[in-house]
Amino acid sequence: MSLALTETFERELSLIDVVAKYPEVPRLIIVKIDAQRRGVYYTDRALSVVDPNIHMVSDTTARELFGGRDDENKSLPISLLLRDGTSVIVTPTPLEQNPYLVDLVDGRLALVDNDEVIEFVELWRKPRYYDLKTSSGIPMSQVLSARPQRLSLVLSNYCHFWTDNKGCLYCDSNRDSKKLKKEIGLPRVKPKDISETVREALKEEGRFSTFCITSGSVLAGNELFDKEVDLYIEALQAIGENFTTKKFPSQMVATAFNEKQLRRLYNETGIMSYTSDLEVLHEDKFQWICPGKADNVGYQGWKQRVIRAVDIFGRGNVASGFVGGVELAKPYGFTREDEALRSTLEEAESLAESGVPAFFVVWVPRAGSIFHDQQAPSLDYYVQLALGLHQLRVKYNLTIDFDDYRRCGNHPDTDLSRTL
Amino acid sequence: MGIQLSDEVISLLNDLNSNKALATVDETGTPNVVHSDSIHVDDDGNINYLEILETSRTNHNLVRSIWFDRTVSVVVSGADSKSFQIKGIPITVHITGPIFQKHYLDIRKRLGDVDLTGVWVIEPHEVIDENIINRKNEEEAKRPFFRHLDRLAKI
Repeated sequence: MSLALTETFERELSLIDVVAKYPEVPRLIIVKIDAQRRGVYYTDRALSVVDPNIHMVSDTTARELFGGRDDENKSLPISLLLRDGTSVIVTPTPLEQNPYLVDLVDGRLALVDNDEVIEFVELWRKPRYYDLKTSSGIPMSQVLSARPQRLSLVLSNYCHFWTDNKGCLYCDSNRDSKKLKKEIGLPRVKPKDISETVREALKEEGRFSTFCITSGSVLAGNELFDKEVDLYIEALQAIGENFTTKKFPSQMVATAFNEKQLRRLYNETGIMSYTSDLEVLHEDKFQWICPGKADNVGYQGWKQRVIRAVDIFGRGNVASGFVGGVELAKPYGFTREDEALRSTLEEAESLAESGVPAFFVVWVPRAGSIFHDQQAPSLDYYVQLALGLHQLRVKYNLTIDFDDYRRCGNHPDTDLSRTL
Repeated sequence: MGIQLSDEVISLLNDLNSNKALATVDETGTPNVVHSDSIHVDDDGNINYLEILETSRTNHNLVRSIWFDRTVSVVVSGADSKSFQIKGIPITVHITGPIFQKHYLDIRKRLGDVDLTGVWVIEPHEVIDENIINRKNEEEAKRPFFRHLDRLAKI
């Protein structure tokens, strides 16, 4: 571990300290947050029991949006499950950055820190359709990726905000998109490929409980984002061919569309929920961190579009995500965690008042992002953030069913809301 | 630490004709009891409970139990007045994977168009024989003061 990193972690409260400080927050969720924040390193012993025929491993062809903390594209387990059903979507992290170890202890995989077993874990299981190909010859694993209970379709890793070098500063999706295209030659999937893959996936009963569709932003069209909306409609209609009902449990994580576009999406497809991420809940910092979004729509414009979506999708079916911690990025972020927390929760409350729950992902400074050399805030900060967002949901009687522990698994605050 | 259930208790829990119930408590300590035919003992000797509803009080209470190490109770009764209460701690919930999918298929075959939210695994920590005759004999042996005198009177 580098000296600077060692000193930083030594100044912070440890996992044990934070668990003791917040007895109302489940230890398992705190463990999840810390594993996401610090990342994991798989030991050789752990990797010896990973079976690509059974477990989901990053075979370098799956369509996921983001990369890791290093530049490697190794075949590693995609993620972990805790014993309460909580997913831990982890980022492989070099040892020198002080990650948790995933090791083999008494024949079981465990999260280990300082030679202590923190929790035993399980690996995500590979769905059956991963072994099949579409009629056009594309491996179905390259069409849809899977989580423990979710099917995911990433229409495009490429985000057009990067065209003018105005992508979000914490994001590496563009770099990863170029890399995937260059190294693997990911094929462009057609609606028929999508429909066939969904059909096969649904044959495995009990395996999936939701569908998530997302894409990098597409600016083109008569109106801004019209092309992106067209792509979603085409894909969602192909997915919908496989259901007996018009609407099916699903989430769209997309750009902030205007009302006309949202109505088209809702009326012409089976989509049931809409998420559009503000990414950072502060106007000035949004301007700095998300220049493409700021230039094209603006913070207030983005926020209002999300709020208006509640009228179309209904209360409880619209949300906005953000990258928890980037509000503290250097040099223009908050300099104090307490100020960042207060500001973020105030803004989250203004969304909640309008029927929009906000949720966060733990910021991972990824190798391919502009913020690659920065450090996420403390575990204490993230626990307070998760608790604060959950308490807002309680206060405003908001559910987050389409993005919870089972249907997503990437948000510590929505994990807490599974008892709502 | 968990204990091993006796063959008698396992047999009763796995008997489809037994009456079985699961008691949990919410965050305020309010109890909640449900009957469930799904309660059974798995190959590891733990008690399994199949939860159909994500939003049931039982499911929410089980989530809090696994998060905060709270005890739950299972009661089973069968023929010949056999009855046991097993106190335990939920240690795992399968929400995905082969065990979940097996039970998903089984419960749908048994109950029709229902869903499954989780297969809860409860580690047994204590077994109490709830057969009233056995309990009475045990109490009278250990605490002989707890009897009415008329029961001992010469008639």
